[in-house]
Amino acid sequence: MKLVEESFLTDDFLRQLISVGEVDILVSLPTHNNAKTIGAIVQTIQSGILNWFPRERAVIINADGGSRDGTPELVRGVSIDDARPASNLYALRTLHSISTKYASSPASGVALRTILAAAELLRAKACVVMSPESANIEPEWISKLLRPIYDDGFDLVTPTYRRHKFEGLLITNLLYPMTRALYGLRIREAYSPEFGFSGRLGSQFLGQNVWNDGTDGAGVELRFTLAAIAGRYRICQSFLGEKDRIERRAADLVPAVRQIVGTLFSALESDFPVWSTVAGSQPPPTTGADHEVLLEPLRVNRKRLREMFSTGVAELESVFQSILSPSTLTELQSIARLGEEEFHYPAELWVRTVYEFAASYRKSVISRDHIVQALAPLFRGRVFTFLTENRNASADEVENNVEALCLEFERLKPYLLQLWKSGE
Amino acid sequence: MLWYKDAIIYQAHVRTFYDGNGDGIGDFHGLEEKLDYLQELGVSAIWLMPFFPSPLRDDGYDIADYNAVHSSYGTLEDFRKFLGSAHERGIRVIIEMVLNHTSDQHPWFQESRSSRDNPRRDWYVWSDTDTRYKGTRIIFRDTETSNWAWDPISKSYYWHRFFSHQPDLNYDNPAVREQMWNVMKFWLEMGVDAFRLDAVPYLVEREGTICENLPETHAVLKELRRKLDEQFPGRMLLAEANQWPADLRPYFGDGDEFHMAFHFPLMPRMFMGLKLEDRKPITEILQQTPEIPPSCQWCLFLRNHDELTLEMVTDVERDYMYDTYAESKTMRLNLGIRRRLAPLLDNDRRRIELMNGMLMSLPGTPIVYYGDEIGMGDNINLGDRNGVRTPMQWDGGTNGGFSTADSERLYAPLIQDPVYGYPAVNVLRQKASEHSLLNWMQRIITVRRSTEVFGRGSIEFLYPANHRILAYVRRLGNEVVLVVNNLSSTAQAVELDLRRYKGNILIEMSGKNMFPRVGDLPYLLTMGSYQFYWFRLRRI
Repeated sequence: MKLVEESFLTDDFLRQLISVGEVDILVSLPTHNNAKTIGAIVQTIQSGILNWFPRERAVIINADGGSRDGTPELVRGVSIDDARPASNLYALRTLHSISTKYASSPASGVALRTILAAAELLRAKACVVMSPESANIEPEWISKLLRPIYDDGFDLVTPTYRRHKFEGLLITNLLYPMTRALYGLRIREAYSPEFGFSGRLGSQFLGQNVWNDGTDGAGVELRFTLAAIAGRYRICQSFLGEKDRIERRAADLVPAVRQIVGTLFSALESDFPVWSTVAGSQPPPTTGADHEVLLEPLRVNRKRLREMFSTGVAELESVFQSILSPSTLTELQSIARLGEEEFHYPAELWVRTVYEFAASYRKSVISRDHIVQALAPLFRGRVFTFLTENRNASADEVENNVEALCLEFERLKPYLLQLWKSGE
Repeated sequence: MLWYKDAIIYQAHVRTFYDGNGDGIGDFHGLEEKLDYLQELGVSAIWLMPFFPSPLRDDGYDIADYNAVHSSYGTLEDFRKFLGSAHERGIRVIIEMVLNHTSDQHPWFQESRSSRDNPRRDWYVWSDTDTRYKGTRIIFRDTETSNWAWDPISKSYYWHRFFSHQPDLNYDNPAVREQMWNVMKFWLEMGVDAFRLDAVPYLVEREGTICENLPETHAVLKELRRKLDEQFPGRMLLAEANQWPADLRPYFGDGDEFHMAFHFPLMPRMFMGLKLEDRKPITEILQQTPEIPPSCQWCLFLRNHDELTLEMVTDVERDYMYDTYAESKTMRLNLGIRRRLAPLLDNDRRRIELMNGMLMSLPGTPIVYYGDEIGMGDNINLGDRNGVRTPMQWDGGTNGGFSTADSERLYAPLIQDPVYGYPAVNVLRQKASEHSLLNWMQRIITVRRSTEVFGRGSIEFLYPANHRILAYVRRLGNEVVLVVNNLSSTAQAVELDLRRYKGNILIEMSGKNMFPRVGDLPYLLTMGSYQFYWFRLRRI
């Protein structure tokens, strides 16, 4: 046990862990002011555990980032044990719900680190991280994310969802195609608030040097997935159903890009020996659909996206000169001048843009954080084109377009390798 | 008067214990010879399974004559002699009394079936159809398909809750009630100290009910108790009623029905808690156990002559118990598991000790099933429940010291496998070893008997955060005993909230060693796998 190293665990939390003892199943909930939803979510989780793992030793662990609304107390209050006979759920054995608060900001990195440390100390066989915001969580999710690990020996279960065709555009236009092209595995949701993992994968990742890398830990769940792929762990996908649609303001894009793109680019450095030797891609074993698309009408302000792209290209020219090749920058400037009807950001140019950003990130041509943020306006241009191309598209047509983009990422992978090696 | 509260009861079958005349079957002569052994062990009462004349189709629970002794076991005079010898050693004698039914070979039933006009016709429950009392469950589901059996002689159906060769007596008939009291009186006058009344929930039948626990049944039992108290004060009635605690509670009445009743639901939950390494099943069933009148007592047991009954558990719990304690289908019988204590616990000495420790320290009077004190095994190849009724293993010699008869003549084969067979597991060998299970049992019984707190004290559960630890405080007057059990196979740390006992020092009752004084902080104990402590709290 690495108790000295894991000193970020409080004494009180350690005391709770000692009382829980060894477990088979660990369900974790990273929270921050989730009092409105957490009660129902914990009850759904309990129901899932009692339905699908009635005999297993299980614990629900809440890693809270300093809630002021009583979230941890709500979690702790629903333990199923002999001191609380009023519980309306029947349980063969005690089902602890324990909670810890960490002192730093509610960044997901600290939460995951806490969860992984607890999993290692409790020698948990199968673990799952659940989102405290999933209003449509079903008890079956527990089974879908844990069974492949507990019964079939998988190490990581990532979810797949039923999403609207215009939801998760950073994933469909960048994260999914790029991780697929580079790492060779078609993981639809490499960065999800819900995923299952084995105790051995958790322990391996806990020991990696990713916790004090200068970032605030944001995006560490993506790093976790990439580490599992790079480490050749057994990975599968499980279809959970509809993904809650969270309406995000345009201003949310930059932190999302920083989290997702920054983490991905950062991982490429350490994982170069892995991804540089991978050709093509394979789908992982998947239970249920590997994706489903909803088509109902959705209002999107495309005009503003194009304007922000054009403004960004103009205002960040000097930055782009450091990051992009002259030909790519020229092409971007060219399309930035196009009117709304003619505007088109082709897949090939988008892939080249992203790869050049990745290579520049590695070379640290300017501040890495600035590099990543500079991708945001360009991404808006790509989104404009994606929305235009798929405005009237059927589910199959949307999927075909995503697949075409993925293949473009795969086709141009030698270009990234060339850029990478030129920087050595 | 409350001797049963402090008793250590030893359950034995005359047939299985010791053969005094060399015919291959245990008898009262043999049992009397072994009374010194029981006295040394520390038992203060012996409960005998039925020893009456019987066709033995249900191991004596099919009685054909209530006022005699089965010839295989001796005579009435032999019984009287045994009874006197037991009393000389301070051992009380509890005998079985099967009130609910007789054997179909009993003269009463033979008369009853002989004609519809026979005066004893109404001593049993007859019907022209087999559709009455539809809501009644079938207890022996593995062998019986109905509670009615067709009698070809009187061409009608008779009611039976157990095997079809065990017709139920009709307790609506005053003559039956009077007769059965006379039977009890016969034995009480001889000097027996108590009855274990078999299958008491089923005495009376009523349409539209489940024919169990009916008020009319309680009325019959209360009448028996009243007569017992009037004519034989100090004697005791023990109920066999395999029911949920809330349904059992009425059998105590206001202290005017049974003195004691078996706590059936607790036993499987002790096994469950041990396997789950979680105290929850045990504390929950005890939380659901109602208060009983001060003069009454629960009877606790780990194993007995029947299967480990799983009637009083949920379906989920039953499946779990089957999967974890009776993987082989041959180990299952009716709704239970036909195995002895040691094989159930994989012959793990630590678990056997822990279970006995709980048996001796939870509220109630403990019963030790013969042979379990030496860790005897079972023979699941013998039919019905006979696998746990094999001859007592006294030594490693011929027939395990049970009998001098040819081994072919023994009523049942001895356990012979390498682990549990009589050459390895026997009284003689264990007596010679200071650390044997037998000697450990003797010591734990001595500690249990050193105080009345276990038999008469209150219980208060502590709920330490570590659910693998079952901890409770037993209290009687100024005497306070803290019991801490580790149900886990691994070492555990536990913090106990003992602030209300601040200033007390803990004295471990087995070795009499002192532990640190209780202060303001949680009392920290570290416990080895399956370890348990009994601490006497002393303010010095």
